[in-house]
Amino acid sequence: MTAQPVSTGTVGIVLVSHSAELAAGAAHLAAQVSGGTVTIIAAGGTDDGELGTSAAKVERGLRLAESGLGVVVLPDLGSAVLTVRAVLEDEDPATNVVMADAPFVEGAVAATVTAAAGGDIKAVAAAAEEARNARKL
Amino acid sequence: MPASYEQQITLVGDLHARPAGALAVAAGRFASAVSVTASGSTADAKSVLGVMGLGATSGQHITISAAGPDAREAVAALIAILGEATKVGS
Repeated sequence: MTAQPVSTGTVGIVLVSHSAELAAGAAHLAAQVSGGTVTIIAAGGTDDGELGTSAAKVERGLRLAESGLGVVVLPDLGSAVLTVRAVLEDEDPATNVVMADAPFVEGAVAATVTAAAGGDIKAVAAAAEEARNARKL
Repeated sequence: MPASYEQQITLVGDLHARPAGALAVAAGRFASAVSVTASGSTADAKSVLGVMGLGATSGQHITISAAGPDAREAVAALIAILGEATKVGS
């Protein structure tokens, strides 16, 4: 990542969880840690508010999070990955979206901080994926 | 030739999630490699998880080191952020 002038736009983040509360909580935490300058969209739960994932919520999240610099998507558990993949297959191939293979909470925080610092989509996705190497103890 | 600088500061509050985030966001804006050392452990200052993993607490001496074209500015900026961000805690 290279230093660049502070701009108003950053890479956007979409958090896809089986739980609406988990997605919203992770988004809140990541926003607090990173200073609130990055668009983070929580896409959690099914369309009727149950545990599960929703292609419609993911699609909406991708649109809301895009500010021209691309979007990094973090899924929580297996079938969230399937939902995101299904959505990405239907997207315009020019859409600049990367799904990161990362621990959900740590990845969300690391990705958002890197986005806030002006990182590009590759740097933001890499920060999320490197989160699996960060030891807590 | 790239310069390297370092400076030590005594924390006035714990290096919890929010101050660690402020530090990593600021560090990420510099081209230089920047690190934080506390009690013999060193973390990449651009990695919020690494900085949080130091578990640095109030009263500890920590060292900010930078190497690269904007090393001096990076160290000055991070020392200033640590002084402010750790005052408010959490």
